[in-house]
Amino acid sequence: MRRVLSALIYALGAAAGLLAFATPFIPAVHAAGALQGERAALVTTALVALALLALLVDLQGQALNAKTVALLGTLVAIASVLRFIDVAFPLPGGFSPVFVPIILSGYVFGARFGFLMGALTLLASALVTGGVGPWLPYQMFAAGWVGLTAAWLGGRRASAVALSRGELALLVVFSAAWGFFYGAIMNLYFWPFLGGAAELSWQPDLTPAQILAHYATFYVVTSLGWDALRALGNVVLTLLLAPATVRVLRRFRRRFDFEVVPHA
Amino acid sequence: MPDARLWLLWALTALLAATAARNPLYLFLLLLVVLLVGVTTAPSGRRRAALLPLRFAALAIPFAAFFNGLTGHLGDTVLLRLPAWLPLLGGPVTLESLAYGAINGLALTAILGAFTALNQAVPVRELVRLTPRAFHEAGVVLAVALTLVPQTAQTVARIRQAQAVRGHRLRGLRDWLPIYLPLLVSGLERALALAEAMVARGYGAVSERAQPLPLRAVLVVGLLGLSGGWLGWLLAPAWAGVAGGVMVGGGVLLLGAVALAGRAARCTRYRPRCWGIRETLAVLGCGLALAAALAGQPSLVYSPYPRLSWPPFDPWVGLGLLGLLTPALVGETGSERR
Repeated sequence: MRRVLSALIYALGAAAGLLAFATPFIPAVHAAGALQGERAALVTTALVALALLALLVDLQGQALNAKTVALLGTLVAIASVLRFIDVAFPLPGGFSPVFVPIILSGYVFGARFGFLMGALTLLASALVTGGVGPWLPYQMFAAGWVGLTAAWLGGRRASAVALSRGELALLVVFSAAWGFFYGAIMNLYFWPFLGGAAELSWQPDLTPAQILAHYATFYVVTSLGWDALRALGNVVLTLLLAPATVRVLRRFRRRFDFEVVPHA
Repeated sequence: MPDARLWLLWALTALLAATAARNPLYLFLLLLVVLLVGVTTAPSGRRRAALLPLRFAALAIPFAAFFNGLTGHLGDTVLLRLPAWLPLLGGPVTLESLAYGAINGLALTAILGAFTALNQAVPVRELVRLTPRAFHEAGVVLAVALTLVPQTAQTVARIRQAQAVRGHRLRGLRDWLPIYLPLLVSGLERALALAEAMVARGYGAVSERAQPLPLRAVLVVGLLGLSGGWLGWLLAPAWAGVAGGVMVGGGVLLLGAVALAGRAARCTRYRPRCWGIRETLAVLGCGLALAAALAGQPSLVYSPYPRLSWPPFDPWVGLGLLGLLTPALVGETGSERR
């Protein structure tokens, strides 16, 4: 029962977050009233924040023992220091060294750890770099998804400590894809309210296919180049850091996987 | 010591006002107010950082005007015409579309200004103190991470020095690996030691407990209400009232579940905050600005299309927005009981 409820929270939380991001693509029958006002932005922000709260309440209740807390805290601190580099020395385009540690942590330690690593890294680094704002719940959710989906690549099941060439190739493709995808989904919360040319702006009377076409044009014109540099940066950092990092993290996972069993 | 709750309320009020207003006069006033508050409340060494939004404005306003001017094509005052064969860009470049883009840039700068003031004025530990008790463990992770950030930065410097003594030079990306790997390994060793120290102090005995079943059931129902209500509101206009109610109900259930989860985590405050006249004045100032943002809708909304005209200005709405100046006028808020 506990597992079923947990899986339901996991699925529904993810669905609520996705729904908030995907709101512009829903054929809104009375959209002139629902989406054109800025209140829609407030509603979707509240939706993302509440879905994030539900996921965090459930995830932390079962995943956070002392070892996980210490490990997560340390990895979040390292990733936040990497984000300092991004803030102190503006890197080209959307390139940020913060994503590769999130991907590798989710890959080695699993989906729950990956989600928490992504969400908390963005929160901690926003606190230390002065990046708190209405965009933060969206960033936390999207980065949480980066870590969570990295676990789907199956790195936790691998028995060898070293990263194989196949695994490295998979991680390279995955990190490149998230380089584009992160930018594409982070645009969605403000795109409907931007205005601009008819061919690239959101309009309430469009079909989902037309909205998608308009968004694709908007994305290509405004974000593709920016995100391509993020994807390229992710690929370079994955090639450079993944083999050694995964080896170290897997070794430490064995050391962290001990249980204290009290005497009966 | 500034009270983070009041600062959050202040920043959210400024955010609401900036998103509700498209009148450049109010947006300009709002920007002046948040900059003034940012400069007067930032710690003395960080006053220049409070003016960062001005640098952002110097880029964002011209870029937004340029982008919207090239792609907007609406409005009567044509400045020049781009060849029609140019995809997206082809067509008239109008004064009105330039102005509309600049107004969007101004709104973005005002929002950034409000949150820059918040980030400068409120110490990180005060923001961490806002973590609800339900997220006690996530709060601990955050506290561990924030405590380790300066140590990690110092470790980077130490490793760089040690590697430099061995003749290591940073020439390319690959040369960062001998710095990154010792950083990762030493960080993980530190995590292991920390975990053992936490277990030795009895941390795991409390925190490894899973959330109770009824609480999880409330989370499921709340999430169902929230997503279902939002979908219903978008897709079934005839049932918009019911759907809105379901959505709000779902949100209330989720917040209730968070409060319930918080009850299980016992937490004591070393220095509880006290509420004084300054805090009340700050809340009243935010309330005044919020009322102006909600009641002043007709004059807050402005469109430069089809022909650019002078935007309206209601002095009462302007006066209401000045309520956001309260943090600058009342000085330090949220003093702690000692």
